[in-house]
Amino acid sequence: MNCEVAHERIVTAAYGELADEQAHELERHLGGCAACAGEREQMRALKVLADAYPVLEPEANLVARSRLRLEEALDALPPKRWYEWLGQRIGNGVASLWAAPMMASLLLLVGAGAGILGGYEYALVRAARTPQTNQAAGAPLSSPVPDTPGAPVEISNVSSVVSQPNSHRVEVRYSQVVPRQIEGSLDDPAIRQLLMLASANSASAGVRDNSVGLLADECRSGHSCRAGGIQNALMVTLRYDRDAGVRAKALEGLEPYVGQDVEVRNAILDALMNDSDPRIRTAAIGILEPVQGDTSVRQVLHSVANTDVNPHIRTVSRQVLSREPEIQ
Amino acid sequence: MATTAMGGTKTAAERMRDRAPEMELIRQAQAGSRAAFDTLVRQYEQQVLRLALHLTGSEHDAEDIYQEAFLKAYRYLGNFRFECSFYTWIYRIVTNLCLDQMRRRKTRREDRSVFLDHSGVEFDLLAAVSDDRSFSNPAKELDRKLLGDRIQDALGKLTPRERMVFELKHYQGLRLRTIGEMLNTTEETAKNTLFRATKKLRANLAGLRR
Repeated sequence: MNCEVAHERIVTAAYGELADEQAHELERHLGGCAACAGEREQMRALKVLADAYPVLEPEANLVARSRLRLEEALDALPPKRWYEWLGQRIGNGVASLWAAPMMASLLLLVGAGAGILGGYEYALVRAARTPQTNQAAGAPLSSPVPDTPGAPVEISNVSSVVSQPNSHRVEVRYSQVVPRQIEGSLDDPAIRQLLMLASANSASAGVRDNSVGLLADECRSGHSCRAGGIQNALMVTLRYDRDAGVRAKALEGLEPYVGQDVEVRNAILDALMNDSDPRIRTAAIGILEPVQGDTSVRQVLHSVANTDVNPHIRTVSRQVLSREPEIQ
Repeated sequence: MATTAMGGTKTAAERMRDRAPEMELIRQAQAGSRAAFDTLVRQYEQQVLRLALHLTGSEHDAEDIYQEAFLKAYRYLGNFRFECSFYTWIYRIVTNLCLDQMRRRKTRREDRSVFLDHSGVEFDLLAAVSDDRSFSNPAKELDRKLLGDRIQDALGKLTPRERMVFELKHYQGLRLRTIGEMLNTTEETAKNTLFRATKKLRANLAGLRR
């Protein structure tokens, strides 16, 4: 082994990346070469010196700030369109085709099949939308009559086509997508039902925000929220909605029930312990403050006061505990 | 030194089994689950910030890199095909962003060739490098903070790629093979880059005179 190779191996050996056999060769070389032995000492020295610039754990504030900023940016991103998902899938497929040429042919066949099927379904939808044309042409497909006259009708799927024997009649089963609109008082059970549905299922954060805001206002203004399931809907939103603003509104709506209902209290304690948004955790502390009799509240406040990553939340929890000595 | 060494002595099957919950999370995130993506972010955010913070030396830059890295991950998660670990994938994004940031900074940076100690006197770390006495505990010879700054300056004189390889090897404790994967290069190239980095570092630290 010459000294040049030895110098390279000294570095890899210093970081534990040298194979045993090469390490043995290196040791033999170093035993007889003072210059390379000195080189190894210098390498060891560099390692010690480099540690004078240590790797520090990021502060909790920095982590919380970064997380908050990221969540806001993610919330602001428009949802992916179907063609973006499709593009991505195709992109993945194309990439893997380099390794699997047979799959390429298969994909082409599937693509062609999907195109034909898509065209066929499109033609069916077109036919369903223009019933008078079908009738004029004597087509056996009867025109789907909307439930409400004048309402637009979309056919989302044709599930079966059965022709009756010895006859020109045919039975077609299909599904419709019919947009509807309803207007009424917030006390109307149907309206409330729709708002609850929107609070849980809408893909739009704006729609969820509006729905939860209205439901929360109902609860805060003293209307009955327990019987109709609004309280439950708000608890689900507080626990699972991905938008912090929507969760904050749900929390506000639950405030009137925190003293009476242990399930509501548990949902708020969950938010205090686990919600990713420090503003919601802080608001939860304020809401729980008046609840003095529940030991779980004390425990959670103590735990948050000692362990929460956010120093502000730790301080607020301690303040609440010190302000209310009877709950300690 | 931080140690986040990967691999260890686990078999491939064991590693796959360990990764199963994470793979499920990735699949859910690919299918559009924001909650699954948030969980992935929480699993890696400390490591991402620690790396970016140490490489850039600036909280502000580290925060920007964190933001950009996870937004990129979110946008391109659909392209992740489980050919490497998610750890390698996310580190690849972060290291690329850090490299860009270091390259930008390198063009702006003033080249400081002389360093002063507390009293304003130029000092020599070469003595420390060649002198066992001081190297046995450099913190006793110089104020640790000041020394840290000098090391940071010496690191800043490496090319961004050398700096990155040294960072990932020395400070993050990754295997050269993993570093090669992250930087889209071979283990051999990563090893050569590490060798050049250590050589330059020693020269940079030895070039400071008292």
